[in-house]
Amino acid sequence: MPGRIIVITSGKGGVGKTTATFNIGAGLAVKGNRVVVIDMDIGLRNLDIVMGLENRIVFTIVDAINGRCRIKQALIKNRKFDNLYLIPASQSDNKDALTPESVIKLCENLRKEFDFILIDCPAGIEQGFVNSVSAADEAIVVCTPEVTSIRDADRVIGLLYSRQITPKLLINRIVPEMVAKRDMLNHKDVLEFLSIELIGLVPMEEQVIICTNNGIPLVTRKASKAGEAFLRVAMRINGDSNLPIEVPKNHKSFWDKIGVRLKKK
Amino acid sequence: MFNLFKWFKCFKKSGQSKETAKKRLQITLLYDKLEISKDILDDLNQEIIEVISRYFMIDKNALTLDFRKAHHEHLSVLTVNTPILGSKLKKAGS
Ligand SMILES: Nc1ncnc2c1ncn2[C@@H]1O[C@H](COP(=O)(O)OP(=O)(O)OP(=O)(O)O)[C@@H](O)[C@H]1O
Ligand SMILES: [Mg+2]
Repeated sequence: MPGRIIVITSGKGGVGKTTATFNIGAGLAVKGNRVVVIDMDIGLRNLDIVMGLENRIVFTIVDAINGRCRIKQALIKNRKFDNLYLIPASQSDNKDALTPESVIKLCENLRKEFDFILIDCPAGIEQGFVNSVSAADEAIVVCTPEVTSIRDADRVIGLLYSRQITPKLLINRIVPEMVAKRDMLNHKDVLEFLSIELIGLVPMEEQVIICTNNGIPLVTRKASKAGEAFLRVAMRINGDSNLPIEVPKNHKSFWDKIGVRLKKK
Repeated sequence: MFNLFKWFKCFKKSGQSKETAKKRLQITLLYDKLEISKDILDDLNQEIIEVISRYFMIDKNALTLDFRKAHHEHLSVLTVNTPILGSKLKKAGS
């Protein structure tokens, strides 16, 4: 069966596309799939450093597309996972170095070898976005529960529909304490505006920054709720469509709260 | 001065800012999509009231315009909601 090509996009920058791409990719690999993640942020690459592979880049996607190397040579294998590969972005070229047609051709080749091709889309809706979504069969829109991000996600969802792609929504950086205080939109509020199918809810968590510091994935961390949430997204993509979506909860336990109260007094 | 007052209100209501966010988003997404302004909406509202008033007695203040997006069909749906208090007498000769 040919592999599935999924773009991770958002419109707004900094909402967690790269973090999501790596961790969903790692989750799919953990479940036994052959996965390649592609950094399409030409000129501002990040996926390599998030994955801890920044010192191993020889060739990039631009080299592979322009025939300066074979596709295989641009694939960097992740040491921790046998079946997770990265195709890094180039840092020196600009976004015009690629065209939708050339990206489609590359992905069509990759889908013969891999079960999943995940495309980490750059922010914005210009050339980099067009290159990223042209090849995709499916899309995950990442947003945070903030007005700016929701507005941009709404725009991107419209653009995806016009390309006959029905996207799914991943809400990242949820702070349950703020949701409880009604100072942050909850996932139902967000879904009122972006009426598409939900694929996951990821809490804001220190572990994300710690894992990024170390260049390792969250999904294999037992203690990480965000990692668990990303793993469940991967499992849902992998066909476990009945897996319920967990709403991030106030992680402070009853006893913690009592403790805080006692300290205050 | 007015802004200062607004700020003050914000502080007072702290802990519920999501309601403000929701209201602002509702209007913003609608305007983004249809590229119409609040003024145009108000004009539309006024004209609809005038048209309906020719046929029915309505409560002008109770009339609401509701825009909903239907992503899947690329459409926006406009629903006009108004209680009808009674019908007007038919004009002679009609
Ligand atoms: N759930 C989370 N909890 C805490 N921090 C997070 C979470 N998700 C993402 N971050 C942090 O937010 C920042 C932006 O994340 P990331 O780089 O994945 O976003 P992006 O959408 O790829 O950004 P860009 O648009 O620049 O490519 C990073 O510093 C990342 O560590
Ligand atoms: Mg990124």
